[in-house]
Amino acid sequence: MKSLWKVVLLAGITGILILFALGLGKDPRNIPSPLIGQPASPFTAKSLDGKGDVSLSDYRGKWVLVNFWGSWCVSCIAEHPYLIELASKARMRSDFALVGVDFRDTEAGARNFFARHGDPGYRQALSPDQKIAIDWGVYGAPESFLVDPNGIVRLKHTGPLYPGWFETVALRLMVGGQK
Amino acid sequence: MNLWTFRTLFFFLALSLSMTNGLAVERQEDPTEAKVRHIAQGLRCAVCQNQSVYESNSDLAKDMLEVIRDQVKAGVEESKIRDYFYRRYGDYIYMEPIKSGSNWVLWAGPFFGLLLGGWALTRRIRSWQSTTEAMKPSVDGLNSTETAAMQERIRKELERVDV
Repeated sequence: MKSLWKVVLLAGITGILILFALGLGKDPRNIPSPLIGQPASPFTAKSLDGKGDVSLSDYRGKWVLVNFWGSWCVSCIAEHPYLIELASKARMRSDFALVGVDFRDTEAGARNFFARHGDPGYRQALSPDQKIAIDWGVYGAPESFLVDPNGIVRLKHTGPLYPGWFETVALRLMVGGQK
Repeated sequence: MNLWTFRTLFFFLALSLSMTNGLAVERQEDPTEAKVRHIAQGLRCAVCQNQSVYESNSDLAKDMLEVIRDQVKAGVEESKIRDYFYRRYGDYIYMEPIKSGSNWVLWAGPFFGLLLGGWALTRRIRSWQSTTEAMKPSVDGLNSTETAAMQERIRKELERVDV
């Protein structure tokens, strides 16, 4: 009986250690989103370019990268040069577009940000509160979602997008087609 | 201060206190706010360390509270409001883990541990009891742990030693 207890105790401790090791191996930035595979939440908001409203439905039929950002967000500055590069790539493609959601921000703040860091040229939805962000399950900025031509969320990226992300991550999904 | 002045002061003090009590207004919480509070207390602020949406001062929690308030005012049921956040943030958003899937380990684990501990404790107590029983002297002065050989040895020792 004593040896049985030793085995049970050892198995318990080993199990806890294995779970601990598995937990340490996880990327804390990779927060699984229940929105993957679900229809993207529609939104319509005032556009920063002053040309009326911008809606997600304007991009139906294209792969669209929805980028949540704010002029208050430091990581967004780091991400910005790549978004400018990505925007120029999108202009050369007919199947890919970008749209920004500037949340918990002011119009002046966004304009000032673009004046300092460059205007990527794609449309920006202004959301003074973060209700659109909450509707998309956003925790912070920057966060990006790749939505397929049928309006299904296919990917979520937490944190700044990095050079080569489009080719290594997005394009693979786009070439793989729509499931 | 003489006794009369003291009594007068005491009378007015007691009178003013009783009037204050009569003037006190019992404030009732707005039923909508009570519902908002109840729902917000059950949802986790997504960017805080174990704080509910209701308790947190973060901007995200404030806006989440606003979303809850809008939905309560629109007459949306509590379960649907909770589900709205669940579909966007997953079960992490609930302060209390939901009773499904691997979460059952969290719910049942402590009870299983308690049962296991209780079983182990019962066994240990029983083994103590049986040991105590065995140690009790029997009618002939021997307990079960003492064998006849031992008794013989003791007798020989006693014979050898001149008491």
